[in-house]
Amino acid sequence: MGKESLSKKFLDLLKQGWESYKNTMGETAVETLEFELGEMENIFGLLVLGSFIGFPSPPMQITLDLLPEMEKHFVLMLNKVDTAQSPLSDLLSTFDVI
Amino acid sequence: MGKETKNIFFLGKGGVGKSTSSALTALHLAEKGKKVYLVSLDPAHNQSDIFEKKFSGKPVKIHKNLSISEVEIVFWVKKYLSDIQFQIKRNYSYLTAFNLENYFDIIKYSPGIEEYAMLMAYKNIQEKAKDEDYIIFDMPPTALTLKFLTLPHLSLLWLDNLLNLRNKIIEKRKIITKVKLGKKEIETDKIRNKLFQQIEEYKKLKIIFEDSDKTQLNLVMNTDKLSFSESALIVNHLAEFNIPIKNIILNKYQKDFNTQEIEKKYPDCGLQLIPNSEKPLLGITALTDFLHVLKSFIEL
Repeated sequence: MGKESLSKKFLDLLKQGWESYKNTMGETAVETLEFELGEMENIFGLLVLGSFIGFPSPPMQITLDLLPEMEKHFVLMLNKVDTAQSPLSDLLSTFDVI
Repeated sequence: MGKETKNIFFLGKGGVGKSTSSALTALHLAEKGKKVYLVSLDPAHNQSDIFEKKFSGKPVKIHKNLSISEVEIVFWVKKYLSDIQFQIKRNYSYLTAFNLENYFDIIKYSPGIEEYAMLMAYKNIQEKAKDEDYIIFDMPPTALTLKFLTLPHLSLLWLDNLLNLRNKIIEKRKIITKVKLGKKEIETDKIRNKLFQQIEEYKKLKIIFEDSDKTQLNLVMNTDKLSFSESALIVNHLAEFNIPIKNIILNKYQKDFNTQEIEKKYPDCGLQLIPNSEKPLLGITALTDFLHVLKSFIEL
């Protein structure tokens, strides 16, 4: 009985360890994907709304037709312009380095 | 099966006689018993002077088979921008929408808006003139006309790439939702839907412009060298976009002029000669009289 409970305890410990490892790795993977997704959205915003910040842009009517659905992109892009003067600090804060 | 309306465009260098040629063609077809709608898309609007009658955006009947209108591009620019502004006010937070108002005051002068407004007017005319046999478009000079005709093609290039990127974004978002929530969420991406809508509309227009059964392009030129070289530029530019020229209209033609060079250069095009008129071609009577002088008219 004592031997059984010891091995059960060991197994539970192993399980817990595996679960926390899986969760940590999963979170890291999702975070990377989310970062990638955010950047892709930024590129999309920049491609469509670039004319607002002096970037080559598609024919004006494509921008205007999509504009009503792109408030998030629009605000984000204007905020990005604000931090464009200090890209390094922006990058460091993204990776939570300092 | 419903009858098909044919679009006939008259294009060419400024001052070669696009308006006169389109007016003569419209009248010729109307006299033959065809139902014709002549539309001026040229901001200079010469049809009012030619027919000696004031036209506006609404069609006016001047012959039992012929109606005429002159499209106000400014009206379409305003309508388009106010529609977009309305949608923005509905979807955006008050402050962002408010900040964008100044932008809309400037954007009406932005390059590209004019040809898109023309395209909107064109779509509207297509919808409203379904019962006509022919819609004849008196086009603006070269630059604006070329931009108008190639707009669907160029817009599709952008839209296809934007849709590709959008699809990748949606796919990635689905993976993240699946990992986080344990199931795939079916969501509708409004931006993707808008891209689809635009692609569908431009594809329809592109097909119409490239289809010689639905669209006929008549290039008007004079016998001078400048008109010749600009016409060659138009033909080559449109060929890059698979838009063929059907007929060459040689306006103000003089009898001693040798047409061989044109026939050799454009072997696939029909050639219509319109001689110099002794009287000014103003008013429906003068135009009808002149039509009787012309011995033949190209097949339209």
